[in-house]
Amino acid sequence: MQIRPPINLTILLAALIGAAAQAETLLLGNAGEPQTLDPHRYNLRLEETILTDLFLGLTAMDAEGNIGPGAAESWQVSEDGLTWTFSMRRDLLWSDGRPLNAHDFVYAFRRLLDPATAASLAYFMYPLKNAQAVNASALPPDALGVEAEDDHTLLLTLEEPYPHLPERLLYPTGFAVPGHVIEDKGDEWVKAQNWVSNGAYVLEEWRPQAHVALSANPHFHEPVAIQKARYLPLANEQNAYNRYRAGEAHAIGGFPANELEHVRETMPEQLRVSPLLSMIYLVFNTERPPFDDPRVREALALVVQPDVLTDKVQRTGNFAARSFVPGLVSDYDGPVPGHHDQPMPERVARARTLLESAGYDADNPLEVTLRYYDDGDGKRTNLAIASFWRQLGVTTRLHHTELKVHFSDLRQGDFEIAQAGWIGENNPGHYLDLLVTDAGNVNYGRYSNPEYDALLNEARKQADIGIRHQTMAEAEAVALAEHPVIPLYSIAVKRLVHPGLRGWHENHRDVHAIRYLAW
Amino acid sequence: MSRYLITRALVSMLTFWVIISLVFFMVRAAPGGPFDGERRLPPEVEANLLAAYNLDQPLARQYLDYLAMLAAGDLGPSFKQKDFSVNELISAGLPVSLGVGLAALAIALTFGIGIGLFAGLSPGTRTDQLLMGAANLGLALPSIVLAPLAVLLFAVWLGWLPAGGVGSPAHFVLPPIALALPFVAAIARLTRGSVAETLLEPHIMTAHAKGLPQRRIVIRHLLPTALLPVLSFLGPAAAALLTGSVVIEQVFELPGIGRYFVQAALNRDYTLVMGVVVVYAAFILLFNLLVDLCYARLDPRIRIDG
Amino acid sequence: MLSALQASLFGSTLARFCSVWIMLVLAGALFGTALSGWDPEAIDWDALEAGPNAAHWFGTDLIGRDLFARIMLGARVSLMAALIATSVSILIGIPFGAFAGLRGGRTDQIMMRMVDVLYAVPFILVVILLMVVFGRDPLLFFLALGAVYWLDIARIVRGQTLAIREQAYIQVARTMGAGRGHILFRHVVPNVAGPALVYATLTIPAVILAESFISFLGLGIQEPQTSWGVLIADGTRTMESAPWTLFFPALFLGLTVWSFNMLGDRLRDQYDRETRGYTRSIETMRAASE
Repeated sequence: MQIRPPINLTILLAALIGAAAQAETLLLGNAGEPQTLDPHRYNLRLEETILTDLFLGLTAMDAEGNIGPGAAESWQVSEDGLTWTFSMRRDLLWSDGRPLNAHDFVYAFRRLLDPATAASLAYFMYPLKNAQAVNASALPPDALGVEAEDDHTLLLTLEEPYPHLPERLLYPTGFAVPGHVIEDKGDEWVKAQNWVSNGAYVLEEWRPQAHVALSANPHFHEPVAIQKARYLPLANEQNAYNRYRAGEAHAIGGFPANELEHVRETMPEQLRVSPLLSMIYLVFNTERPPFDDPRVREALALVVQPDVLTDKVQRTGNFAARSFVPGLVSDYDGPVPGHHDQPMPERVARARTLLESAGYDADNPLEVTLRYYDDGDGKRTNLAIASFWRQLGVTTRLHHTELKVHFSDLRQGDFEIAQAGWIGENNPGHYLDLLVTDAGNVNYGRYSNPEYDALLNEARKQADIGIRHQTMAEAEAVALAEHPVIPLYSIAVKRLVHPGLRGWHENHRDVHAIRYLAW
Repeated sequence: MSRYLITRALVSMLTFWVIISLVFFMVRAAPGGPFDGERRLPPEVEANLLAAYNLDQPLARQYLDYLAMLAAGDLGPSFKQKDFSVNELISAGLPVSLGVGLAALAIALTFGIGIGLFAGLSPGTRTDQLLMGAANLGLALPSIVLAPLAVLLFAVWLGWLPAGGVGSPAHFVLPPIALALPFVAAIARLTRGSVAETLLEPHIMTAHAKGLPQRRIVIRHLLPTALLPVLSFLGPAAAALLTGSVVIEQVFELPGIGRYFVQAALNRDYTLVMGVVVVYAAFILLFNLLVDLCYARLDPRIRIDG
Repeated sequence: MLSALQASLFGSTLARFCSVWIMLVLAGALFGTALSGWDPEAIDWDALEAGPNAAHWFGTDLIGRDLFARIMLGARVSLMAALIATSVSILIGIPFGAFAGLRGGRTDQIMMRMVDVLYAVPFILVVILLMVVFGRDPLLFFLALGAVYWLDIARIVRGQTLAIREQAYIQVARTMGAGRGHILFRHVVPNVAGPALVYATLTIPAVILAESFISFLGLGIQEPQTSWGVLIADGTRTMESAPWTLFFPALFLGLTVWSFNMLGDRLRDQYDRETRGYTRSIETMRAASE
């Protein structure tokens, strides 16, 4: 029983309008309102999206999502993996016509790590030599391991080998900023009237809560097809879906999950599903009894069925996880915990035995509190998990808070079991770092295993990716055997994209730079 | 009367100060600071951030600093919207909220008084019952149901009006209507009761007896008295409109200050919360003062007792 | 008074309908979840987002929970909110208003000024801030709502008290040396019971609506508890693929609010007919709280 008006007519109309929209502004739905457009002060993925259009870093993603040259034409790494030499392009200009060279990047990295900037993601560039010390005010900014050998050669010196540096430089923390404007206008440099950047687009107007308007940068080294674009803050999925169908947005990310089937039937060519490098998992607070008991953790982990969650409960195309490092990560053969191949009744029985040996049975049932933040799927996923545990006689209390409070409390260790998520890079270390003893408060469960730490330390010293990843896999196996976390799934991004828009390719990081798009 | 006004003005300012202070301390008592998010913050970075926003100072000091800034008309920087000051955010959002709010008020008054008058002039009849039943219906269907349905119907399916945002006059059709609906009902009920009452008043009876035309009676004799309750309702109505506008702005995705408020409260963006409260409080207190002024002028019998 | 009450509640067909509906909702709130046979939190894996059928009278929601059971649970929460909030508002409002009315003079001025000032505060700001600061405890939420609605009753009671203050029997009580508290409880309070009842009938729907607003914004009742506001918010997210998820909660909310308002109007008209004079004050103050 569904009410279905002639939606196809509306879509047809939208397509026709789109065809006529060649000279019109491209309207893109973004996950929300950005909080800043200063690449050194950003914090959210939705800001990354906009910043990738406004700036050009040393490396950049091409239209298909492969990492390639950006402001740098090529690069080399030394034998020991500690020195990277970047050769810059010669035709780079800022949007005000001023030439751009290696010195601008030196300025930028120093500013990023300068404690006065208070960059919340400064740690992205901690692989640089002395970066952490500079950021902690122990050393001055010019002690940083960045140097311009000449106008077109940039040297980056690292603390430890880090073969994934080109990927790390994709983040806005690695972008160049216009020192000549910053010195002049200070913090007002981000305002539209003062704006100068080196990307394919410049900031034309930012109307809070309404839109961020971009226009093509005349001094960019390549021509672009789309001249004007607007990012709309569409945090509410239903509203985004409405706006898309009304023709007020040409591409949106995320729409109500229950509409997926209808979309598949009526507008399949507009639906884009792509897996995202991410891991949604449950974390146990290993400092709080009874979750310090590995038997309890194992019992609870045994009865969770990630594939039921993704295929029956969510039905949104998310990918069930078996190990902690997402399956999408390249060149990595992760360990798979044995229990996934056993039939459920066996797992339930074993879980019950484990709980009993830990002291929990019908007379003394286990009561847990499961914390989560609502991101659309959160509620029903966690209700389903609660019902998994109910099979063991476990009572689950669900505690839902908004994102900020949720992660703040997690960092303080104020939870028993909590849902957590990590959207990350294409390397296993990025995820495995979450379980290291001295990871700081992002190791929410305070899991600590010296053997694990030692293996990871050893891995980090390897410059060769093969050996590095192998050692990491060993480490992951060690950790997973103790169940500090229950990996649940990797996210599948679902987008709706106007059929007339070309150049939109799915990729693992869900990055779609406007300069590759055209009508 | 000027003494009355001055007293009212002083009380308003006192109220303003009390509200500001209350909210200031309430927001800071909340758990979670403004810099918590998905990504971790190493301790030195967190320290840097807190220092940059003066959050490492003792609370009393922050309070006094804030009051000083407020007196100078500076609402401070936004903690979350790092590229904007609160002044800039509010000047961007206030025209939208005001536009929708005032339009809604106009609609509510026009239709509310109209319907209420019509019903009240013939109390107890079927027309009256029907109209009041309808008015009650208007109260019973909240905007949280009607607004999303309206968007679906008019924007997505029919395509007559935009689904959200701003940018053209068409964007300002649905939101004020959705916002005004419960007030049309409330004002209609109020007017109807008051009109029905006033009809029985001696001076109206006299006018009837004198044989004056119905129209004249209504406009010159009935309405001024009958509308007094409506006038005194306007003050709290402004407050209620603000309430309703928060939801309307959410559903229609209008870049107004109502949305700022909810977001800022959830994000612990202290200065933005304060900024919005300052604007709301100032607006409402001013509005109430205006209403009092009109009231005092219209009905000299009513003094401070109200 | 009882016969007047009866006349108001059952006098006409419409009134009977409203009264019956409210009684049904009350019954549902108390026993409804047991009636449907489904636990409101139980997930029916085979019937996710199913339309109304024999097994699920109102269908199921996105997660597979029986909607009828959820609506009954929501009724319980929404009505409890209304009850607690209204009680709190009466408990604060009556003594406040009576005290102001009896004292008169300066005290009265100041107290009523406070009320005027508090009228100016948009309640949603206060409740949101309270929710954000002190957490999402439902009890706190209901109390906060009550703290918003006591203003009306205070004004009405104060007006009433002023009116009867000069009456003979109060004077007599005074000369006999009765203390203020005594006068308050034995003479004033019984006399304001009438308007208080009317007021309560009209506050209940206001609180139900207010709760639904706040829950719609995501700040009120949390999972797995539910209220009609939460159900409506969820329903608007699935209203295209599963219109019943919006239709039934909205129907219940709308009919209940409408019934309370209709009955409240009738009660008020009834009292108007019996005692003139404070009609205007009730009308004004009542409508002002909408």
